[in-house]
This record gives sequence, C-alpha cells and structure tokens, in this order.
Amino acid sequence: MHLFFQELLNGLVVGSLYALVALGLALVYGTMQIPNFAHGHLYMLGAYVAFFGVTVAHVGYWPAMLLAIVVLALVGVVLERLVFRPLRNAPEVNTIIAAVGVLFFLQTLAQVWFGGDYRVFPTPYDKVVHFAGLVATQQQLIVIAAAAVLMVALFWFLKRTLTGATIEAVAQNRAGAALVGIDPNRVSMMVFAISAGLAAAAATLIASISLISPSMGFTVILKAFAIIVLGGMGSVPGAIIGAYILAFAESFGGTYISSNYQDAIAFGVLVLILTFKPTGLFAKGT
Amino acid sequence: MLRKVRVAVSSAVIMAMASTLGATAQTPDTITIGYTGPLSGGAAAYGLDVQHGLQMAVDELNAAGGVKVGGKKTTFKLVSLDDQYRPPNAVANAKQLSQQNNAVIVFCPHSGGILAMQAMNEKSSPKFLIGAYSSEPAILKQDNHLTVMTPPSYDAYFKPFIGIEMKRFGKKLGLLATTSAYGKAWADGFRKAWEAAGGTVTGDYGVDYNTTTDFSGAVTKALNDKPDVMLVGGPSQPTGLVIKSARNQGYKGGFAMMDQAKFEQVEDVAPIAQLEGTVGIIPFKDFGPGVGQFIPRYNAKFGTSRQANAEVGLNYETMHVFAAAIALANSTDPAAIMAKVERAAKSLPGTYRIADINGLSKTGHLLIRSVAAVVNKGKFEPVPVPFTE
Repeated sequence: MHLFFQELLNGLVVGSLYALVALGLALVYGTMQIPNFAHGHLYMLGAYVAFFGVTVAHVGYWPAMLLAIVVLALVGVVLERLVFRPLRNAPEVNTIIAAVGVLFFLQTLAQVWFGGDYRVFPTPYDKVVHFAGLVATQQQLIVIAAAAVLMVALFWFLKRTLTGATIEAVAQNRAGAALVGIDPNRVSMMVFAISAGLAAAAATLIASISLISPSMGFTVILKAFAIIVLGGMGSVPGAIIGAYILAFAESFGGTYISSNYQDAIAFGVLVLILTFKPTGLFAKGT
Repeated sequence: MLRKVRVAVSSAVIMAMASTLGATAQTPDTITIGYTGPLSGGAAAYGLDVQHGLQMAVDELNAAGGVKVGGKKTTFKLVSLDDQYRPPNAVANAKQLSQQNNAVIVFCPHSGGILAMQAMNEKSSPKFLIGAYSSEPAILKQDNHLTVMTPPSYDAYFKPFIGIEMKRFGKKLGLLATTSAYGKAWADGFRKAWEAAGGTVTGDYGVDYNTTTDFSGAVTKALNDKPDVMLVGGPSQPTGLVIKSARNQGYKGGFAMMDQAKFEQVEDVAPIAQLEGTVGIIPFKDFGPGVGQFIPRYNAKFGTSRQANAEVGLNYETMHVFAAAIALANSTDPAAIMAKVERAAKSLPGTYRIADINGLSKTGHLLIRSVAAVVNKGKFEPVPVPFTE
C-alpha cells in the first residue's frame, strides 16, 4: 500500500509538470488553432533565462522565474507578430511548418549560445520531506502547489475578467469578436505572451528537479501534444485532466507492469481513450 | 544523346583514374582525418568532446611540423560531419569523408555507427581505417582488420564491479540503467555476470534517461524490492539524478555505474556523500601519467568553461598513436598504418599518454590502462580492471 501512495505522489508531481506545459499549448490552439510545435522550445528558453538569472545575475529563485516569464512573454509576442500573424490566412500546413521551423531555430540557437551540456539548476528547495511514510523533495511539493495555483489563476483570468473574456470570445468566433469591438490581433499577441510566460514558469519549476539542455523541449512537447489531443484539442480543462491521466498511467503502469514499457503503456491508454472518444475528453462543440 | 553519355562516362572514368592515382602514387600535402559524430541534438556535448580531443592532437601535430611520409613533410586536417548519433548518417558521412575528402581514418564515437561502418570500410574504394570510440565488445568480434577500438570493452568492468559491490553490500541486484541499446546490452551482460557470481536480480526497472524528467517513480519501484546494489548508468547528469533520488528515498546500498557515466559529471548533481559505495570508471584527473600536463593545455586552448574528460583525452591519445603509425608506415595506406599501430603505441612520448595506450590486440583493441574507482568514505579508491580482448 505504501508503494501505491508513493507512486500516487510521484504521479502527481509528473502530472503537474505535464499540465504546466500542456496548458500554454492548449491555450494557443484553443484560441487560434495553431499547433505550436515550438512550445517545448520556448519552455527550454525559459529554463535557460531563469538559469542565468540564478547563476549569473544572482537574483534568487523566484525573481529569476519572474524574469523568465517576462522575457518569454516578449518572445511570445515577437513570435506571433513575425511568424504566425502573417500566416493567418495561409493554408494550415504553412503554420505547422513555420512552427517546426521555429523549433529548430531555437534549438540551434540554444546549442550555439549555451552549448550542448546538461546544466544543473541550483534550487534552494532541495531538502527531503517525510510525511506519513512518504518521501518527496521540497521542490517536488512546490511543483504540485505551483501547478495548482497557476491553473486556478488561469481559469479565473479566462472566466472572471474582461480581458479573459475577450480571449474566449476570439476563440469562439474571431470575426464576431471583431464585430463587437475586440481587436483579435491584440488578443492573439496576448495569448502568445501568456502561453510563453506559462512555459517559462513551468520550465523554472521543472528544471530544478530535472536538468537543462537544448533538447529538453523535445521530451516534453510530444507528451504535451498527446495530452491536448487526449483532453480535446484546445480545451484548457481537458489539458489538465489529460496531463494527470498520462502521468498516472506512466507511474502506475511503470510500477505494476514494467518500467521498461512506461511510455508504451501511457500511450496505449491514450489510444484506448481516443478509440472511444475520438475527439478527446473535452472536445469543443463545433 | 549517345555522345553526351559517352563524354560523361569517359570523363567519369578519367576522374576515377585520376583520384586512384592521387591516392596511391603520390603523397598528399595534407592527410585528412575524418570524424562523424553527434554535433547537434541531445548528444552534442559528447560529440564535441570527442572532436575537441581530435582537434587538439591534430593542431599539436601540425604545430610540430606534421609527420614525414614518402620523404615529405605532411600535415593533418580534421574534417567533421554531424551524424546526430544515427548509424545510417554515420555510414553516409564515412563514405563522403573517405571518397570526397580522401580521409584515411574515420573516427566515430558510437557503437551503432561503428558497427555499420565495419560492414563497408574494408570493401569500399578507397578503404579506410575506423577509429572506434565505444566500449561495445561486439566491435571486436567483427573480424574487421581496419578497426582500432580505444576504450576498454565494458564487459571488463563486470568482474571487478561485482567483486566490490557484492562483498560490501550483498547479493541482491536491481537494474535501473538507461534503456538505450547500449544500456540494455550493458545491463544484460551485467545481470548474467552477477547471477554467475551467485547473486540474484530483484528486477529490471530501467527507464530512458534521455526522456525521463522525474526519476522518482522508477526509483520507488526499484526500492520497493529492497535491492542491496543497483546498476545505474546512462548520460552522467541524469545518472546523478537517479542516484540522488534513490538516496533521497532512503536507499543505503551500493551503485554499480555503467562506463558511460563519469564521476566528475555525476558529482555536479549528486554530492560525493550520496555516491558512497559507488563503483564506476575513475575520474579523468586520475587517468594516467600525461593527464596532469594535458588539462592545462586543454584549458588554454578551449577555455575553462568545459572540463577535459575521458572523451577528450582518449581520442587525443588515439590520434597521436595513429599519427605515429603513419610516420612509421611511411604511407597513408590503411593496412600499412594498421601494421604499425602496435609499435606506434609502444613508442608514444609521455606527454601524449593519457591512459597509457601500450599496444594493440589481435582483435584491434588498444591495450589501455583501465582503472575503475570506488567511493570509500568520501574518497575515490582505484580498482584495477583486467584487460579483455
């Protein structure tokens, strides 16, 4: 039984991690139908900004996270303005190719600027916490808590503020939103800023329990895409639920079947769910 | 139309003849050393270390005036191509390096690429030597007479590792190595050797070190079966994360660490206290007689932001062995060079001796001084490793 609860806790950490990355991806897809393959690499860039914030500028952990969020929000805006907006009326495949192009551009840039080595993110929250026979590091608990806070904040922003409502409006009907006086271009830029900012926050949280490298985006982006497909393309609650489903499938599949097949089991579950709900768990009505 | 074809065919024939003539009858002004390795992607740091080692040797050789071949001073040129760790790309690169750049030797730092190259390097025209930087024992079993393998083959570590860990911690082994082809082969071999030594295996909990973000889950499962010793290993820093996670969860046993992971980099993640009782290959600074002088030279050339390590050092030494063999052979013919590697290795000056390469086995394995180390009360204690062919 101890094993079960410890794996539940481990799954919760990984699920929070996945949810943080998938959120930004779902937001952009939900509002603009852009499959942003470069999202994982924005996340990578965020990790490096925070890393240099802590190790070079010595600003401390939380200010470094804030710095990463601000820098990445700006990168998100630039990306929308320079890459994705000109492609708005182009065939969808052009947008996809552009996103893949951005991905390789960012990875190469990181490789040249930062080198290919793994970097270790120093965290002030490295202590081990024991409770009821379970073990976690402070940083793992922070990941769980921070994911919850960010999810609630995003939800509140989208549902309870006027600015958030404009995003929902553009997501539902771009032309209609423009008719009632909402500037869809401004909203698009804002969504990219929020999405990239979320990626930076996620990266700062995750980098402290994992490692930083130019290819770290690849490992998360595939899973994040699987998650938003599972959750129903572009649905924010779907992304959150999907993230925890994938994480628990990995965690318990790895424990009770075989850790060698961890990924195979997780994606098996994904296929199974899509067999019965082909549009995902929380598909948006058309 | 026919005329055009004739012209094309005849010019191709002439060009082919000219290039053959160039390769055999004349001594080139520069000898090209080829390198195919991961220069981008996840393993780029590893690939660059290897490249740095080769580049450093080539630059030193050229600064000293190169080597004399056919009575003429000849310098070296390193041409590197990226294969992103993929065997098919490595083969394509090797062909290009050998046929277009006239590379006499092609270095490759991964077993997949090396094994694929071994299928063609003796048959292709021109033939070329393979500088194999991998500890995969299968490389030595291909009966390839133009391959020189540098690192000790990994099965050499099984016996000394098992001897130390079993005695100190107990007979139950858990396998938590990375699931790359290399990691699986390592773990399989180690499992068999462990069982042959009278131990038992609690299970295989291996995960892909390159794609796993949080190792807690795999570690929890492994610890639930209460192993005395765990086999870990993959890229160094993720290996450190696995060890750290196990210690955080209260594991008190030992670790046998695959040779891909290097103590000095594992220490970036897991402090020495958490490495107590871990056996792995010895830190680079304790490698061999020439290391003390080598590290400052390396730092002067490439800066101090990157540490010199085994990848840099061993490829550096191997390149010097090859250069000496070319000089002794007085030829750039691969078979002639191969015949002189043994003597070149024995007569290598001390400044180039990183791991004290001292000969060549019949299977094409450099006789290398191979030492492991175990962490005992916070200190690295050397563990001798017998040479296996």
